Amino acid sequence: MKDIFKTGLILLIISFVAAMSLALTNEVTKDKIIEQRMMANELAKKEVLPEATRFEDITGEMAIEITENFAPIVESYVGYDASDVVVGYVFKSKPTGFGGPLEVVTGINLNSEVTGLRVGSHQETPGLGAKGTDAAYYEQYAGKSATEWIGVSKTAASGNDIQAITGATISSDAITVGANASIDAFQMIIEQGGVGN
Amino acid sequence: MNIKNFTNGLIKENPIFVQLLGMCPTLAVTTSAVNGIGMGLATTAVLISSNAAISILRKFIPAKVRIPAFVVIIASFVTIVGMLMEAFTPALFSALGLFIPLIVVNCIILARAESFASKNGVVASLMDGAGMGLGFTLALFVLGSVRELFGNGTIFDISLLGANYKPALIMILPPGAFLALGILLALYNVVQIKSSK
Amino acid sequence: MESRLTVSSSPHIRSTETTQKIMRDVTIALLPAAAFGVYNFGLRALTILVLSIVSAMAAEALSQKIRKVPITVDDFSAVVTGLLLGMNLPVSVPLWLPIVGSAFAIIIVKQAFGGLGHNFMNPALAARAMLVASWPVEMTTWTAVKADAVSSATALGILKEGLNVPVPSITDALLGTIGGCIGETSALLLLLGGIYLIYRGVISIRIPGLYIGTVAILTFIITGFDIQTTILHVLAGGLILGAFFMATDYASSPITAKGQVIYAIGMGVITVVIRMYGGYPEGVSYSILLMNVVAPLIDKYTKPRVFGGAK
Repeated sequence: MKDIFKTGLILLIISFVAAMSLALTNEVTKDKIIEQRMMANELAKKEVLPEATRFEDITGEMAIEITENFAPIVESYVGYDASDVVVGYVFKSKPTGFGGPLEVVTGINLNSEVTGLRVGSHQETPGLGAKGTDAAYYEQYAGKSATEWIGVSKTAASGNDIQAITGATISSDAITVGANASIDAFQMIIEQGGVGN
Repeated sequence: MNIKNFTNGLIKENPIFVQLLGMCPTLAVTTSAVNGIGMGLATTAVLISSNAAISILRKFIPAKVRIPAFVVIIASFVTIVGMLMEAFTPALFSALGLFIPLIVVNCIILARAESFASKNGVVASLMDGAGMGLGFTLALFVLGSVRELFGNGTIFDISLLGANYKPALIMILPPGAFLALGILLALYNVVQIKSSK
Repeated sequence: MESRLTVSSSPHIRSTETTQKIMRDVTIALLPAAAFGVYNFGLRALTILVLSIVSAMAAEALSQKIRKVPITVDDFSAVVTGLLLGMNLPVSVPLWLPIVGSAFAIIIVKQAFGGLGHNFMNPALAARAMLVASWPVEMTTWTAVKADAVSSATALGILKEGLNVPVPSITDALLGTIGGCIGETSALLLLLGGIYLIYRGVISIRIPGLYIGTVAILTFIITGFDIQTTILHVLAGGLILGAFFMATDYASSPITAKGQVIYAIGMGVITVVIRMYGGYPEGVSYSILLMNVVAPLIDKYTKPRVFGGAK
């Protein structure tokens, strides 16, 4: 009986010390980690909508309407420039690629122009679908018109069509589905008179 | 004596090539040389710290609860390493993040705690941890280099095989991990047998 | 084959059958379809077939020399592996690809596991799977028949992706004037080769018959009794080639009759599942490889009980 108390106590002491050191590390790294995560998020948004300096989440009814009607979209943001004027919108969508859901961040400015697109976390095949994260591929989206859907061509880019990654049509289609859902959501926002000030 | 504790883990009792311990991170993260080294060093840090801590506490921890005590200590160190990495080396963390918590279940660490640190002095345990950790790192680096070289034509992102080389994608896909590990094990054994003759 | 593989107690009759004879028969059975592939896709197809056969033989000789075992290149088994691999490649692949594939098939899959009779899966198919995973673009670029450098799709690819291209007719699929790998297109000549092997007693109808039958019945049901699509699924892909020449590989298929039934039906189900619901238009090679891997397990559970032994 006494033995149990003693072993229990020792285990308790070890766990207590462990918990204390974890708490200490957490205290030291907490702010830094939040900052890193924020920066990574902000950076992605800024890359696709360079005109904006600051982003705000689209919330309320509009947010619900967007996620309900434009399926793969999960988050949407308004971009403001330095003088707090709305310059465009950024949409994060999760269409399904070859290896599962992939994250697509699309920026569209008020001139109905796609300003940029990035592929975030994904499980596409290295050397094939994973080439979606190469600049040579995603830069095709920048400058495309957001008044109509972007198409995917297997052979060559033309008009509002981008050229698919060789051997990875499914991934290219998926990324484009994300872009097109963003275009739809953008058009809906514009029709309703925009969001933000 | 202590030097021998250190060199043991490097070649003669290499955790990967001889003991075949910790196969999960070995196979999963070695898609490139950098990832191999990163994972190896993170594991080494945990291994050294946990070996030292367990060696210090070896007389204090009752035999009955030694395994739970070891697990608490190891898990705390892993969490601390994970937090520090996320805060200060975000790029490495995003490449290895998924696998950091898996260090907890890496059997090398528990094996060294149980079979060495709980029976030996602090300095010897430190040496053992460092040797085993670096041996693990070495194996992961070799495996990562081979896979990156054939699967991507590069090592450390430096192109080595020229632009005409068509990378064998299988090497950076999961089956390539098994292929490369099997072939390296065979080569290791050939060398061992030859040198012992 | 079934009568020949009955394992009984001694005395045994010494059969005149040798590896060399069996493998020579397989080579003869494959030749018409291979020759048609050359006629169909042009001289480049011949280059690829020759390259894969020669490099398979070279790899066999080399690895047997390193292993210090008798060199048995003349037993035709390396020839069969090389020929099968070559027939499973698209005609447009770069010329180093069959060499890499043959070397992998022989050195890694066959010799590293102990040589003839010890390979745990079909070497040619394992090499093909490795090549598809490594160079997917090269391995899935199909060239149209008799037209250089025009990429086309395979019949199954058209069915799967719903491409805006006419599906080839059943006659074309039967004769083989369709897109695909070098040696898989002519269903008729492959069937002829298969019948020859059955006639010579090299293989039994059990595995290929049940395999093709399972695919046909399942496809027929899943496509809502669409007879034309079903026939295309049977004729147009690699099914005939796989069922007669690769699924029947002695070393990697089960020994017992019951085991072979399970094995064949298993391959049929996996093939249909991959074709209908998977990411690839064709599933023959993966289904054979998967069932190769479970063959020892099937054998273990279908082994006849020892006479007089306890239950």
